[in-house]
Amino acid sequence: MRRVAQYVAAALAVLLIWEVVSLSLLAVRGRVILPTPVTTIRAGIRDFGELSSAFGASALRFLIALSIAFALGLPIGLAVGFERTLYQTLSPLIYLTYPIPPVALLVFLYLAFGVGEAVKIVVVTCALFFQVVVAAQGAARGIPRSYITAVRSAGASRWQLYRHVVIPATLPEVLTAARVSVGLGITMLYIVETKLGLAGGPRTGLGRFIEYYAFRPELSLAGVVGLSLLGLMFYAFLEFLERWLCRWKHLGGPGGP
Amino acid sequence: MIEVEGLTVSYGAGRRTVLALEEVSLTVAEGELVAIVGPSGCGKSTLLFAMDGLIRPTQGVVRIGGKEVRGIRRDVALILQDAGLLPWKTVLANAELGLRIQGRRGDVREVLAQLGLAGFEHRYPGELSEGMRRRVGIARALALHPKVFLMDEPMANLDSITRQRIQNLILELWQRLHFTGVLVTHDVEEAVFLGQRIFVFSPRPGRVVEVIDNPGVGTSDYRDSDQFLARVHHLRKALVGSAT
Repeated sequence: MRRVAQYVAAALAVLLIWEVVSLSLLAVRGRVILPTPVTTIRAGIRDFGELSSAFGASALRFLIALSIAFALGLPIGLAVGFERTLYQTLSPLIYLTYPIPPVALLVFLYLAFGVGEAVKIVVVTCALFFQVVVAAQGAARGIPRSYITAVRSAGASRWQLYRHVVIPATLPEVLTAARVSVGLGITMLYIVETKLGLAGGPRTGLGRFIEYYAFRPELSLAGVVGLSLLGLMFYAFLEFLERWLCRWKHLGGPGGP
Repeated sequence: MIEVEGLTVSYGAGRRTVLALEEVSLTVAEGELVAIVGPSGCGKSTLLFAMDGLIRPTQGVVRIGGKEVRGIRRDVALILQDAGLLPWKTVLANAELGLRIQGRRGDVREVLAQLGLAGFEHRYPGELSEGMRRRVGIARALALHPKVFLMDEPMANLDSITRQRIQNLILELWQRLHFTGVLVTHDVEEAVFLGQRIFVFSPRPGRVVEVIDNPGVGTSDYRDSDQFLARVHHLRKALVGSAT
């Protein structure tokens, strides 16, 4: 509950700053540069149908990308971090490819995946995938030996080792990393939606919506607010997931965190 | 029951090879409780891990019940230094862990109750005191009903009162269950309190430099007897001698 109150307070602060900035720009430049929160929200409500379609399309895209990034990145990252031979052979490869922004390869990705839906998801997935892989790999390398010995001395198989130790031990760190990379993912999403959405209407995604209404600034800005809410939604979702799956991390008591 | 013959263990390869144990031979009779004492890094834990089948000897053999140890055995349980609890599992799940991994069922709740942990089954290790955590580690091993208990400094880093309580608990369990026990420790008084025989190890590479008979273990008020103090004194001198 306190968390919700914090978010509400933060939102109010943002609105206030926004209002101040837009009024001062108006005063200095003598015309509307940045629409005020009220006009923006009003525009958003007027075209709510279109805005929410765009939001839904973007949210679905992000959710799919996030799911694929986890489904592929978690096992790969954990295995590379935990299995010594894999670490030695694959980690240089990861560190070499990890800093490449997937949008830099956009031309090649068009050619490979076309200009449709697939390529958008591929770009966002790539961005999130490497974040998950690197976090999972680092977390898997940092597992205290005593956890592993405890399970091995009971005769655990490789799979049992992953199930009882590797996955639960690394989950908090991986989820935190994923949460932090939501911002990056949203940036990638925006870029692909604007760069690759030229043929589509404003309903095809928030990025496209923002660009499509570039000459109706209050509506375009409403799209930006939508993008921010989208990021917030996934951030909160991942935080909830972490608190729920990693309850043990958030306990009080002697020796607790 | 446990026979260690010419056991040598080295880690690493090439120039960075570390010799942890060198030509260690010892036997532990069935139902005997022995202590292994030596300075830090003398390979005591390595010896236990070799007995548990967690590491392979470079040379020599370990036999338990006449059979060479070649991997994890169900009749051998290991208690780790910091109890080895998994913080994401509840007390019950931690105590059940060994059984679950081996696909067995058992009376885990009863074992927990015996160790004074009833009512804490659904707590997480992070919510327990250090002493309780150690008892959960012991419960996990007990639940396996092993014939052999290997204990790797189960009382390390405890305050002196909790330490004595856990020492008494181990003695009591041994007297009741008649298991064969190997206790690794660097605490002199603990070794004398719990080891019917005490093996004194040299610094790395670990070798047995002296074996001390200590028949008073388990007699009432042993800790306060003159015999106990004399043995402590003797062992302390032996340890200092082994290090020079």
